[in-house]
Amino acid sequence: MKTRPLINPKTLKFLTAVSSAEYSLQTLKMGSLIRSVFDASLGVVYVGEKASEFHGSSVNLTRHNLDSWNIIHPGLEVLKWALKELKKLNPDNQALARVSFNADHVFEEDGRVRVVLPDELSTRVELILREGELIHQLRKEIQLEAYDLAIIGGSQNKRRLAHSIIQYLPSSILVLQKFNPRKKYSLLLLVDDSPATAKSVEWGALIAEKLGWPVKTLTVSKTKRFGLGYQGAADMAQAYFEAKGITIEQFFLTGDPVETFVKFAGDDHFVIMGASTLNPLKQLFLGSKPIRTLERTDIPILIVR
Amino acid sequence: MQVYIDILFWIRQKKWLLVAVAYGLIMHFQVSPPEGLSPQAYDALIIISMALILIIAEPLPLPAIAMFMLFMQVVLGIDTANHVASSFMNDAVFFIMGSLMLAVAIVSQGLDKRLALGIIKLTGHKTWRIIAGFTAISALLSSFIGEHTVAAMMMPVGLTLVRYAHKDPQKVRGLTAALLFSIAYGATLGSIGTPSGGGRNVIMMNYWSEFGAGSVSYLHWMKYVYPMVLFEIPFTVLILLWTFKPEQSNLDSAVRKLVIDVAHAGRIKGRELLAIMLFILIFLSWVFLSERIGLGIIALLGVFLYLAFGLVEWNELNRKTNWGVILLFGAAISMGIQMNETGAAAWVAQVISHNLGKIIENPALLQGSVSIFLTGFMSNLLSSSATVAIVGPIVLDLGADKILIGYSTAIASAFGYFTAVAAPACTIIYSSGLVRSQDFLRAGWKMGVLSVVSLLGLALLWWPVLR
Repeated sequence: MKTRPLINPKTLKFLTAVSSAEYSLQTLKMGSLIRSVFDASLGVVYVGEKASEFHGSSVNLTRHNLDSWNIIHPGLEVLKWALKELKKLNPDNQALARVSFNADHVFEEDGRVRVVLPDELSTRVELILREGELIHQLRKEIQLEAYDLAIIGGSQNKRRLAHSIIQYLPSSILVLQKFNPRKKYSLLLLVDDSPATAKSVEWGALIAEKLGWPVKTLTVSKTKRFGLGYQGAADMAQAYFEAKGITIEQFFLTGDPVETFVKFAGDDHFVIMGASTLNPLKQLFLGSKPIRTLERTDIPILIVR
Repeated sequence: MQVYIDILFWIRQKKWLLVAVAYGLIMHFQVSPPEGLSPQAYDALIIISMALILIIAEPLPLPAIAMFMLFMQVVLGIDTANHVASSFMNDAVFFIMGSLMLAVAIVSQGLDKRLALGIIKLTGHKTWRIIAGFTAISALLSSFIGEHTVAAMMMPVGLTLVRYAHKDPQKVRGLTAALLFSIAYGATLGSIGTPSGGGRNVIMMNYWSEFGAGSVSYLHWMKYVYPMVLFEIPFTVLILLWTFKPEQSNLDSAVRKLVIDVAHAGRIKGRELLAIMLFILIFLSWVFLSERIGLGIIALLGVFLYLAFGLVEWNELNRKTNWGVILLFGAAISMGIQMNETGAAAWVAQVISHNLGKIIENPALLQGSVSIFLTGFMSNLLSSSATVAIVGPIVLDLGADKILIGYSTAIASAFGYFTAVAAPACTIIYSSGLVRSQDFLRAGWKMGVLSVVSLLGLALLWWPVLR
């Protein structure tokens, strides 16, 4: 294990994507929970459909007119709801309690609309409205603000989007599927010889420390023999957790990695795995372990990049 | 590795651009022009096909597609730079430019509050009467000032009623959809009524004069088409009530709150009166002067007057006008003219007639079917004006009376009821987030049937009386 940590928990920036009050409550709850335990800053982004360019100016004209009737953009309504929920979820955050949403205080910059909150430095919350294709807009937002983690709800489109989410979003990604914030999950850390494992272990340790969840590590080999790389990674993980005072259970199984992960994880784990280091072209045509795992499970997965 | 990911992401975002370019290269270099089609006409068809792919998939901004259509005409030797430039700007483009700016000027006057009070006074509190009032007013107004202007003005009224009818619009989905669709469908069906109802009507008028079919006056258009608008209004109301079944039959409380809201506007102000008078002046000029000086020139004159009287600021016009659309229509009309001049439009018309003629023997029925169904189908994919700009030259070459088939094409281009992209009014209500794309299909097919039947009735029963 490297002595210098790969993650600096003091400067973490998380991004939560919300779509509506109806479907995004769990995502927002996780965003809020993980933000408060890490004391990270949180961006909440709403990505709405963009009107066809043909009628874009007519839609904008209508929206300007709606402003004069105090009817705000549906995306701003969602962000207003998100701020209200964040206040409810963080009753002790005095800075957040003091801010109020004002749809007139918006600022257009870099192809997005940012709701200006008073005292943003103390609240460390940003509300962002974007319009366009989901993956494209999330990628731009992550690149612009250098987020460490993007938190995304597991939508019905998950299978269709799994590949794009994992391949093109340039941060670690937490896909929340059937997530229950009240449930005490077991962390299942997938350990192998890939370079992303070290960072996955650090994320796992941080989450386990903050949330008090028990930790299991799983190493899967296609053959009955576990090579030095696999064994070394598992040892490194154990040493790291021990150094943090966290007891872990280690599992070594053989078989197809994805099949084995999915079967082992069942539906009561919170999975952490490293992003694939395969050539992007190979990932595009052949997929990767994270892509196939995401496609085949319904539990929360954190893919560490 | 990041570079490879960036390249793959670029390919993902621009795949339709790559498809269009690959298609163009293969067709130009590998496939010979079919018999009877000159190389210039063949290249014009390639450019149009590539532009269609780009317009539908939008991998590029509209101005880029416009530029592509313009420079390719010169690069492929279809015409000279000066000829392309002169075909790019004409009265139809002036009209589209003027009407987009007029929409900004009119909407910024705050007349929607007066409109809301007027409608409520007429309709009372019953839901069905409000929906009927919304449909009728949207249709009648959009005939003259364009559907996007009407939808922009009516949307706040509709959304305010929805908001006052129930705190959660999801709980009154039927009412919400009925009110918003009465604005969208009313404005869309009304936009066929006069030349100034939509850019597509003026594009067709421009093609008539470019292709030697003569010209028609503002009143001639109204005489031929307006009966269809009046006929469709009550049926549209029935379709909306039948499809969406509003949860509340009386909007008493919502209407009272709306009246209190808009009553703050007070008595009509001199500035608002001036804005209305200027529009009446523009309208009268369209009716009586457009044949002599052109609809577009009058629209620009109207914008000039609004600016001269200080009713709107240039900065506001500049910011809220979609210049990209103006460039695109200029380029599409320029391509339409090239399709006519190179013989590409006539060749496509002949191929369609020859192939469909095996199924539909009656030439009039064939010409009418192609005009209605091809235009109606494409307007649901593109936009209505772009459809007329591209399909117009082809249908005018089908061999039918150019004026009548032009009318039916312009009318059918308003049949964009099935999707949120076809008509600006439909896109506007969709942008509220309160109606779903399935709602367009649920009501759209009924509107489609109503519109086709109405158009056939107009063509078979009304137009023979006028001729």
